[in-house]
Amino acid sequence: MQDELLTELGKSLLSGSLDDERLMERTGAPLPVQILPEANVIKIGGQSFIDRGRAAVFPLIEEIAENLGRHKMIIGTGAGTRARHAYSVGIDLGLPTGVLSVLGTFVSMQNARMLNYLLAKYGIPFIEPAQFAQLPHYLAERGAVIFFGMPPYTFWHQNPTMGRIPPHRTDTGSYLVSEVFGTKAMIYVKDERGLYTADPKKEKGARFIPKITISELEELDLKDVVVERSVLEMMKHAVHRRSIQVINGLERGLLTRALEGEHVGTIITAD
Amino acid sequence: MRESLLDKDLQRSTESPVYRMLPAAYVVKIGGRSILDAGRDVVYPVVEALADCLKTKKLIIGTGGGVRSRHVFSIGIDLGLPVGVLAQLAMADSLGNAHILGTLLSPYGVVAIPPEIFGHLLPLFIQSVPGVIFNGVPPYSLWEHPPAIGRIPPHRTDAGSFLLAECFGCRSLVLVKDVDGLYDRDPRTNADAQFIKEISSAELKERRLETLPFDRVLIDLLEHTRLLRSFQIVNGLHPERIKAALEGEHVGTIVHA
Repeated sequence: MQDELLTELGKSLLSGSLDDERLMERTGAPLPVQILPEANVIKIGGQSFIDRGRAAVFPLIEEIAENLGRHKMIIGTGAGTRARHAYSVGIDLGLPTGVLSVLGTFVSMQNARMLNYLLAKYGIPFIEPAQFAQLPHYLAERGAVIFFGMPPYTFWHQNPTMGRIPPHRTDTGSYLVSEVFGTKAMIYVKDERGLYTADPKKEKGARFIPKITISELEELDLKDVVVERSVLEMMKHAVHRRSIQVINGLERGLLTRALEGEHVGTIITAD
Repeated sequence: MRESLLDKDLQRSTESPVYRMLPAAYVVKIGGRSILDAGRDVVYPVVEALADCLKTKKLIIGTGGGVRSRHVFSIGIDLGLPVGVLAQLAMADSLGNAHILGTLLSPYGVVAIPPEIFGHLLPLFIQSVPGVIFNGVPPYSLWEHPPAIGRIPPHRTDAGSFLLAECFGCRSLVLVKDVDGLYDRDPRTNADAQFIKEISSAELKERRLETLPFDRVLIDLLEHTRLLRSFQIVNGLHPERIKAALEGEHVGTIVHA
């Protein structure tokens, strides 16, 4: 390679080690551009939302349709009950995490396809990871796209610290889309108001937490949290997506208000 | 079924022995900059050594991206592109290297397999041919994790080869580089660097060495590994060490969980 064409950083990267922390520090600047600063990523829960069927899904579909033209939406889907079934069968048979990840992907893909048909009359496409190059075009033309929330790690999915369930599931995959494209917001649509001190479905005394930082959340050391823990891990190192909001999609109007930047659920911030 | 997968107790309950899909296959990662970019004098003997191994062993060969990946990183960073885009771009360089190595190994029936079908068809290939080549990159692409420091994708080709060997329960992972193994400092710039013959991931974490001859994320991956409990780094400039390592000899640095 011709040296005169290389930046100082370029020369160091060609000759140095990518595992040299001092060199890595120099790769942090300049800050990355926001590729889609006007877009919002919305993750629609699998077990918490889509599995509830028509009663939950139809009003949300209507609300999404109402926001077309006003807000750009990149919509990821969760997996839910069928993924849990596939995981339990797979674990019993001794299948590795990478294979469970493939199985989870299939379920979140089913959910994406179902939402896709319900939004088809508005011309909203479902895209797989290989079609993400067309995402900006669809977003500009139609105002929304649907993708399956699972990150496409498949057989390369890393093991969890304990157990066998893939640690980076649909909350994480959706989060990373939001971070890499530098979108305006990351909104999780679930069936609870947001984060509680315990699972509000099981414990009556659970207290609602409207806003919290990751370090405060770690200090609480909750047994159960409303989003995948790996989202919180990744948010610590994120450049753009330093906060997320979890909202109750069963309450009509909250998605619209969250898209407008209102605080209507739990906001978790990196700092 | 309504149980939250985010519940720690539930997660703990999902631990059980893991089935090995390809227990007889070996994963060998051929360095990009260290081997493939070094030209004919280095590559041809490595190809011969691999061909020799292929007579008796099933190999899954990953390739690094080398200098071209580093170049595209530097341009991409300068243009303000995020880590996920850099990861997506780097796939092309190691795929190019997979095809280069595939061309040289084609007389032995070993070619580069397109990433889209590689994982799902791997057991079929391993039963049918002596070996396969893939671009060592894990398919993280836009979904690459934001690194703790800087902007370089943390899951590169060593990590891709490691994760593959772990998921498929392969016999071992050998990383072929142009150094004898791990040193306490970069041996290229420090004449008195001390060679480390064997080390654990916990010890590596504690020592926080400034440079490593493998993707740093491997240290974390080893901590949660279920099937692949170690890997070995060997010097491809002494190509006979590749076969020795595959046969279980300790000829470079072994890093274990």
